[in-house]
Amino acid sequence: MNISINWIREFVDLPEEIGSELGKRFTLSTCEVEDISVINEHLQKVIVAEIVKIDNHPNSDKLHLVTVNKGKESQQVVCGAPNVRVGMKVPFAPLGTTLPGGLTLTPKEIRGVVSEGMLCSEAELEIGSDDSGLKEFPADAPVGVSLAEYLKRPSDTIFDIDNKSITHRPDLWAQYGMAREFAAVFKKPLRNPFDGEWQKQLEERLGKGASPVSVTVDDDCACKIYCGLYVKNVTIGESPDWMKARLNACGVRSINNMVDISNYVMLELGIPNHIFDASQIGGSRIHVRRAGSEQTFVTLDGTEREILPRDTMICDAEKPVAVAGIMGGLDSGVKETTTEVFIEVANFTDAEIRKTSTRLGLRSDSSIRYEKSLDSQLVRRSSLRILDLILQLCPGAEPVGSQVIAGCDNVPYRPLVIDITCGKIRAVLGTGFPSDAEIVDILERLDFSVENRNGMLRVTVPSYRATKDIECDADIIEEVGRIVGFDNITPEAPLTRIEAVRLSLPKQLHRKIQDFLVLEGRALEVMTYPMIGEKLLKKTEWPDLNEKLVLKNAISRDNDRMRPSLIPTALQTAALNAKNFSSFRFFELGRAYTGDEKNFSAEKNQLVVGFFDRKADSFLPLLNTVEKMFDYLSYPAVIEETGGSNTVLPKEWSGVHPYEYADIRVMGKACGALFTVHPSLTGSLKIRGKLALAVIDLSGFENIKPKDKVKYKPLPKYPGSLFDCTVIVPRTAAAAETLRALKSVRYKELESIRLVGVFLPEDPDVKWVTLRASFMDPDKTLDGAFLEEAQNRIVAELEKAGFPLKV
Amino acid sequence: MLKKIEQIKNDFYKALETACGTQADLSKLKADFIGKKGAVADILKNMKEASAENIREIGQHVNRLKSEIEAVIDSKIREAETALINEKLKKERIDISLRDSLTDRGLCDAGYHPVTLIQREVEDVFTSMGFEILDGPHIEDDYHNFVALNIPEHHPARDMQDTFWFSDLQHLLRTHTSPIQVRGMETHRPPFKFVGPGKVFRNEATDASHEMVFHQIEGMMVDRNVTVSHLIYFMKTLLSEIFGRTVEVRLRPGFFPFVEPGFELDIKCLICGGKGCPVCKQQGWVELLPCGMVHPNVLKCSGIDTEKYNGFAFGLGLDRLVMMRYGIDDIRHLHGGDLRFIRQFKAY
Repeated sequence: MNISINWIREFVDLPEEIGSELGKRFTLSTCEVEDISVINEHLQKVIVAEIVKIDNHPNSDKLHLVTVNKGKESQQVVCGAPNVRVGMKVPFAPLGTTLPGGLTLTPKEIRGVVSEGMLCSEAELEIGSDDSGLKEFPADAPVGVSLAEYLKRPSDTIFDIDNKSITHRPDLWAQYGMAREFAAVFKKPLRNPFDGEWQKQLEERLGKGASPVSVTVDDDCACKIYCGLYVKNVTIGESPDWMKARLNACGVRSINNMVDISNYVMLELGIPNHIFDASQIGGSRIHVRRAGSEQTFVTLDGTEREILPRDTMICDAEKPVAVAGIMGGLDSGVKETTTEVFIEVANFTDAEIRKTSTRLGLRSDSSIRYEKSLDSQLVRRSSLRILDLILQLCPGAEPVGSQVIAGCDNVPYRPLVIDITCGKIRAVLGTGFPSDAEIVDILERLDFSVENRNGMLRVTVPSYRATKDIECDADIIEEVGRIVGFDNITPEAPLTRIEAVRLSLPKQLHRKIQDFLVLEGRALEVMTYPMIGEKLLKKTEWPDLNEKLVLKNAISRDNDRMRPSLIPTALQTAALNAKNFSSFRFFELGRAYTGDEKNFSAEKNQLVVGFFDRKADSFLPLLNTVEKMFDYLSYPAVIEETGGSNTVLPKEWSGVHPYEYADIRVMGKACGALFTVHPSLTGSLKIRGKLALAVIDLSGFENIKPKDKVKYKPLPKYPGSLFDCTVIVPRTAAAAETLRALKSVRYKELESIRLVGVFLPEDPDVKWVTLRASFMDPDKTLDGAFLEEAQNRIVAELEKAGFPLKV
Repeated sequence: MLKKIEQIKNDFYKALETACGTQADLSKLKADFIGKKGAVADILKNMKEASAENIREIGQHVNRLKSEIEAVIDSKIREAETALINEKLKKERIDISLRDSLTDRGLCDAGYHPVTLIQREVEDVFTSMGFEILDGPHIEDDYHNFVALNIPEHHPARDMQDTFWFSDLQHLLRTHTSPIQVRGMETHRPPFKFVGPGKVFRNEATDASHEMVFHQIEGMMVDRNVTVSHLIYFMKTLLSEIFGRTVEVRLRPGFFPFVEPGFELDIKCLICGGKGCPVCKQQGWVELLPCGMVHPNVLKCSGIDTEKYNGFAFGLGLDRLVMMRYGIDDIRHLHGGDLRFIRQFKAY
């Protein structure tokens, strides 16, 4: 929104120079000033001049040498405009003028003739849109006078306010409201031209009887109050220059005096209004009601709008004439022939206006203000201000009947009163200032009335601040704080109880996982979108399309639902990077989203780790990493090749390799899987190489504290003994089958049995597996008889399982 | 006798010259001269023949000769051993230039996501100041995302939040981390201090500086007599820690329905020091985070006695910090999964 400083000066005395410091102070106390600019500065320099002589340019057919009378002296300039004529009054821009386009005039040679200054068109001066030739002023225009003076377009400073910073302040959507802030922030008196005396004078001009147009407001509609006023003998015409200048400064185009008055009052007092051509109001009746059978309505801008039965419409006896609070109908406004008008100033429920305007996609200056929750107490004053201006612009105009007022807010107003102490204000701000007297002064400047009893304040809130913004004591503290300047508060540490704070168990776990996978797993951490599309799920052959968690208003079909697993996005990540790297490792800690009958949604933290290599096996390196990771995390975990069921892969998913697969059980729960992605899937995803994935649902154990099971054992005092043996194993069997065969061999002296090596002999059906058993007795040297017995047992068990000793 | 000793000495050096220098040769030489049956031992055997006064002198000479021979031989043996090892090392020599960093073994970098790096830093600053770290669901209901934060239906503030809704129109993707606050207040009794970092979602067109998924950290402190001055203290401390130098902050009025008074917190531009530059749009200050004193309605909604307690709350965009720290020009990289991007933040 634009603030016109000239307009503000009508209500407050501000310093001559309006600099960025002033803007900064306003930003710190009221709302964000995004930009400060000066308009019409050039019009101070451009003057009215009269063409006295036209000579041909020596070197051009189209250009002329024009001599103008500037008042005291005359001057010759080069001009190419087609409409030059002796006797014409035109705008002359002297050297040094900076035109709105940014060009600063300097002496310039045009085809061999030096021109000092320039004759301008409307468009060049931005006082109109015509760029076909020189702007021509009436014959009586005074030569030598600046355009600022002649056109009554003084230069003005414009504050561009960020609308977002005043969403909670309906009173600031008006120049007068802003002026009140300037007065409070800079401690200047506020001039209120709309006082009781002014009101009384205007009310005396009103007619005595009832208004010729009757007004009915239905209880169930969005209208809170409606104030109508009938005025006759109105002449439609152009607005005076001062009014045009104000509208122009606020970015509003001048149309005619009635439309301009309507806009002017909205800009000045912040209350939207509509001036009807009274002859268009059928049956001389206004009926504010919810739309009934109407389904469409053509608004002022010529667009046909869809109307729902719950929308509130302003209607006459027969038909709707405006969408309440948003926009008038096509034929409702004044025309050149209008002589009698009906002024509507009303207030509507914020939420209803918002609902309708959002649905229609129509945010007008009016609806933007109504959405902020306006004050019903202000409609009479605004209606009188419109009358005031009509009487000024059309001296013959005359109100017919009195103001007609209806609606649920047309009852005596009970102001909002808040009790607060000055001590509390200072305590919450955390400062020793401001003093009681300063607090009262600040509040009074903001139009609050204050009863002060030894620092206990009884604050009466002005009606226009109480519609939503000010509700409780915290709001009063804000008022004081912002005027004092929050930037003047010194930071101070609180005196507070010290308590031990640790990361939550899941957070500790997540950090340890990240640390391990980065430092030991040699992997890069990625993040992918939690929202994915059906396309990706289909491409990755994922059977669950997660239809329950589809977004109503997704940005694109590629991100229209929550991911049921981290696997599809991991596959996407692998496919993206397989193009650029011959091998890589990555992981993501993220959420998988599901829903069921009972709960709308469930979110589970998942870990997915991916190892990729164009040639080498990825499965075993991944398995080793994950196995070590669980050791590091101190959670008991088993990675079993046999494979069973788990909670992370749907049974029907075809993406798993038939042999390179293992389930991950953590604390007894089958909550993960580790596998090579089936080559047919990597093939269709154009991942050329071996991709192994581990996916683990962390939700089953992340809230359980892992037990530290480390127990110290004294170092051995007696030597141990190793026993190696090599057995023949079928080529297709897993080497670890030999270890499984020895599960029943248990001696307290047997520390471990491990695989030492696998050798592939010429015989293609077998392989040789070497095992090593390690024996140790902490209390004595092992005796030979025991060792022999144990070794024989091992060999016997292996033979029983079909793995004979290689001799 | 002394002559004989001199003779042995000469014989030894002659033999040493002719010896081929292997360890075995040298050991034999040592045995021949100073072994039990060696030349020196022979002399000692014949000592009886010498006169008593000579015994002392001869003994000294013999011992000296013995030490000399021993030292010479041992040093020769060591030389031979070293030569042998060196020969072996020469044969076993590896190419020490073939280090991982010079070899193409695919992508071998490892590291954290940049958001993780910054988030941990911020979390650590807060835990060090006694703030607990909470978490919450991404899929929220209307109550926790809006209503409990003093944003009822059709409140204009909902305009500022472009919300992703689910088909039931009851559930949504949280538009800010503030629902973590609401849930935190449901489970904690004052006094408390906590922060809630995490992903948030906004339905807006994406471009280099706008994302539909990004990260925030939300925090609040509720206690008796919490002041605006405390809020500024915590924010200034946090930001000074993050930027690694003292940061100047200022508060100006800002409207957020869940705080009252509400502020926009600006930091003095770190690029120009407040003089004005393109980064701060010539303002000298950069808008960084919204904050304020928790609105009494919000506290009441969670059953906190506003007569006794009050507090402050704030929200901070993490992605913005990440982008500022590393000079990232396109926010979309953060969720893009492209390792060419991620590897730039490698830990090693």
